[in-house]
Amino acid sequence: MNLPDADFKLLILVGISVMLLLFVSFLLIFISTQRRRFRYQRHLQQLREKQQELLIKAAVRSEESERLRIAEELHDEMGALLFSAKLHFQSVRASENDLPLQQKGQELLDEAIRRIRGLSHNLHSSILQEFGLLEAIRNFVSKLTDDNLIQATTALDCECAAVFRDNEISIYRMIQELINNTLKHAHARRIHVSCVNTAEKFVLTIFHDGEGLTQERFDELKFRPGSMGFKIIQNRLILLKGELLFTQRPNGYYIDLFLPVA
Amino acid sequence: MGILEKTILDWSEAWAPLVPLAIRMRHRTQPSYLRPVVIYVWFAFFCNVAIDVVWKLSNRISVPYNSNNWLYNLHSVVRFGLFAAFFLRLRQPFIVGLKRAVAAGFAVFVVVDFGWFERFFEYQYFSSRLLAMEAGLLLFYCLQYYFYKLREDVELEWSQPDFWVVTGLGIYVAINFLIFLTYNELSAYYTHFAVDIWSVHNISYVLFQFFLAKAFYESTRR
Repeated sequence: MNLPDADFKLLILVGISVMLLLFVSFLLIFISTQRRRFRYQRHLQQLREKQQELLIKAAVRSEESERLRIAEELHDEMGALLFSAKLHFQSVRASENDLPLQQKGQELLDEAIRRIRGLSHNLHSSILQEFGLLEAIRNFVSKLTDDNLIQATTALDCECAAVFRDNEISIYRMIQELINNTLKHAHARRIHVSCVNTAEKFVLTIFHDGEGLTQERFDELKFRPGSMGFKIIQNRLILLKGELLFTQRPNGYYIDLFLPVA
Repeated sequence: MGILEKTILDWSEAWAPLVPLAIRMRHRTQPSYLRPVVIYVWFAFFCNVAIDVVWKLSNRISVPYNSNNWLYNLHSVVRFGLFAAFFLRLRQPFIVGLKRAVAAGFAVFVVVDFGWFERFFEYQYFSSRLLAMEAGLLLFYCLQYYFYKLREDVELEWSQPDFWVVTGLGIYVAINFLIFLTYNELSAYYTHFAVDIWSVHNISYVLFQFFLAKAFYESTRR
């Protein structure tokens, strides 16, 4: 030991302090680098989500304006054209022998006018605009009831729907799509639509007694190319930050649409 | 420093492992990668109690059985083995070969050092060389853990038990590397200073055990 005692002791103490400081500095640099990196990644993710939301919003808006245009065209032009054809047809004096044919033709024209009107209303619900979401769903469901084939009911006594004023059309389209799918694929005989609202969320539930979807099957189908209906639902779910839950219970299938109340 | 404080500090190596052990007793389910750390804490408790008892009763025990230096050597070898196992059990796909080689290298070092150069049951001193080598290699393990975490695409959470284990161990070995390296010389030429500096080791050991306790606590909350 050539160094003086005090110097040697100081050297040891400084050495220990330097080692500790180096380690702590390394630790702090590690933590701050990690944080900065993930803050940046989160920021990027937020930007990406915002961009996706804007794109979906634009797609939904253009889809709705296109639906409106087609609905107006069907109602105002095709409807008017068929109605005029019906009037002309009525004014034609048919012979005794042709009367059944004229009657059949008139029936067909009535059916075409009725279908065009139905199609036009489906494409653009004026009830939704005038009376709001719940009334539009009620109206849509009531039209499904057919005494022999299907029994469709609603219990929509919630007060929360006003919160979704700007997005009512998206919610309506999802319900429409889900019920149409139920009718088309599940062969249900009973459909019941209800709603529950809390301070945080609004839940719309579709119950049916057909052959419904499970959550796994839905998750599988929504990413399958060509599933247009599911794409519509998925896009709107992203837009509304909602969730769709498919559950099978002994009495039937439940589809719960959870929507956060902003 | 009062007598009470000095006694608490002198026995800190024995009581400090009781802190993580108490948490472990309360929350028995720990992830499998923490098993080597749990084993270490149990081992450290018994080994350190033996070290302190031999030291306190050295006047009543006959020579050469009144030396606790071989227990320090044993503690060092076991500590390195268990913490190397902990780092390997983390399954971080980062310089895996090197990490295994370091563990094997330490084993070779122990055999060569105690086979030819030093005595494991040396009466006068524990092996400064062994403890310093152990501290240096554990510091390497700690630093590579942080480097891997920087590369990993997962954000660091304060509730990660492995982070607390590694940080506690890192602080302990960073402080003690120089102490271990120079301790044989210090106790030969600066006995009083060596005793004082050992208190620094004891404080860092208590801190280390608190970090382990935090890790055990966090692992049950996840």
